[in-house]
Amino acid sequence: MPRDASQSVGEASARLDSLLSEIYVKSKGEVCGLSRAQFDSILAEIARKYLPADTTQSEICDFYGTLRVEELALARACAIGNEHAWEVFLTRYREKLYEIAGYITKESSTARELADSIYADLYGTRTRDGQRASKLASYTGRGSLEGWLRTVMAQEHVNRYRRQRRLVSLDEEAEEGAQFATTEPEPAIVADPRVETAVDEVLAALAPEDRFVLASYFLDERTLADIARTLGVHESTISRKLDKLAKSLRKQILASLGRRGMSRRQAQEALEVDVRDLRVNIRSRLAQETGGRAFTKKKAETPAGDGS
Amino acid sequence: MTEIPKIVRQRLQANTKLADHPEPNLLNAFVEQSLAERERVQILQHLSQCVNCREIVALSIAEPDVAEVVSLARAHAGWLSWPTVRWVAAAACIVVIGAIVAIHQTHDSGQHSAIRVSMSTHAIVDNAAPSQSPNLNPAPVQAAERRTSRKTSGNQKVTDAAPFEIADARTASPFSEVVPGRAKDSGPQGAEQAIGGPTTNDNGMNAESGTFFPDDLATESLAPRWTLSWDGVLQRSVDSGRTWQTVPVASHLILRALAANGLDIWVGGKAGALFHSSDAGQHWTQMLPIANGQPFVGDIVGVEFNDGLHGKLTSSNREIWITSDAGQTWQKQ
Repeated sequence: MPRDASQSVGEASARLDSLLSEIYVKSKGEVCGLSRAQFDSILAEIARKYLPADTTQSEICDFYGTLRVEELALARACAIGNEHAWEVFLTRYREKLYEIAGYITKESSTARELADSIYADLYGTRTRDGQRASKLASYTGRGSLEGWLRTVMAQEHVNRYRRQRRLVSLDEEAEEGAQFATTEPEPAIVADPRVETAVDEVLAALAPEDRFVLASYFLDERTLADIARTLGVHESTISRKLDKLAKSLRKQILASLGRRGMSRRQAQEALEVDVRDLRVNIRSRLAQETGGRAFTKKKAETPAGDGS
Repeated sequence: MTEIPKIVRQRLQANTKLADHPEPNLLNAFVEQSLAERERVQILQHLSQCVNCREIVALSIAEPDVAEVVSLARAHAGWLSWPTVRWVAAAACIVVIGAIVAIHQTHDSGQHSAIRVSMSTHAIVDNAAPSQSPNLNPAPVQAAERRTSRKTSGNQKVTDAAPFEIADARTASPFSEVVPGRAKDSGPQGAEQAIGGPTTNDNGMNAESGTFFPDDLATESLAPRWTLSWDGVLQRSVDSGRTWQTVPVASHLILRALAANGLDIWVGGKAGALFHSSDAGQHWTQMLPIANGQPFVGDIVGVEFNDGLHGKLTSSNREIWITSDAGQTWQKQ
């Protein structure tokens, strides 16, 4: 290796080592019972998880600078069973767990059950390969520990709700007026496939944020304020974005249908037709049976990521 | 709101993603806006197609009053938010200029009375040596009792010896350090600069105004943010969470709960320790809740004060104590 290259590699390594020392001190890992070597190993594991293999040491240093190292040390110390760390964690977060559960479930007994269940996962009542498996071992410090607890609880709540929905009895459904249809006959009228193709093409070209806003507002029926809070912008920004998107979508779809040989009038009529009148065989096109909001209609249960 | 064609709604539903769900660390970092742009786009791409994960994200967002206490790493700022930022910045400048003018006018007319008030306060904190700079010593314990005793009613008892020494937030004490990892400057001087650092003379008085009250804290127009570190230390940011300073409350104190309402700050911690400041952390009073002759036992793990008078304490043994007179009297629920 040329001298200059080896010198710069050496400097980068020295910088990384110095940064790791600094981070260890900031994390107060020693107070939690984590050795320097243990903490370095945790950081390296997190870097491997999120950064590509060809990341430079400078980029790794920058990445480490974004982590919540104090909370990371606390969580990982709890995961290995450090008593002092648990005392701190419980004093700080046990009450919050119940508050978060109450906010998510909106009902006290369900909230208590959810909080107790999550607490058991955090403490590590289950074992894996003979070792205590604590969910806190999966916290990586990318965000606050409190926020991570919120997300974990929300995920558990969503998955539980879906599992329970699967067990709703048919008698209950019939009482609620649900109809159990027989096999549908082949549709007599087939919609113009150019419409769906044009719409798919335009939707695929949307920026992810635009599509997210559309789905949140029109499918999930979220309020403008909720969507704005998710994206960290003002409510009026979302309102303007939605208006602009809705108008632009129509224009682009009409243009796409025009390129596919439809006249302007035909294209406009095609967009005005209610999708229920098209009698398109939706089942063959949908990946899953979807509805509006996740918690208001039946859906095929597909657990969200478990964070492992 | 302009509607979208029904076929668009149907196709939005149709193109769903059922695999490769982001794990909670990434979803949470997305909610807290601490992801790099590349990762943020990937998460948005998934969220736009996954109703499950959108639901999780919606439930993960803290209620607005809680979110103000938890610092966000970065606010996503699109070009559309510039008009809002511009008007907010202009309004903030006007408020700051007006406050500075008002303080200067007050300073000219009330300088001597401010010195008298601050000297008496100084004497309370350090009654053993009133001519010296305030520092940590046992005298403030008596001061806390004295100040507490002035507020004591039938339901509140003053103990003989509180185990805490109340620190004076004005001094450059060992506690006055900038939180590493968050602030660009560090050390006591950096901390003072971060809060608009007054220059103090040997007596701890503000060299410019001749008072013990830092001008920047007195004229601060933007509400500070508060948080507790994981090891129970109170921290304050006056620059929207970019830098944080440790705020000394009392020695040997581990805090676990915090409520902030304007300049009123309540903190609670181990062994029923409860402290209140009505001037954004400059001075602290220890409160000793008692209900029906019984003192509060256990660790305080929750503090709520929606206004200056009505508050609630939660203990580690799940007791709830409420007050409707800013902590003068308490009832156990």
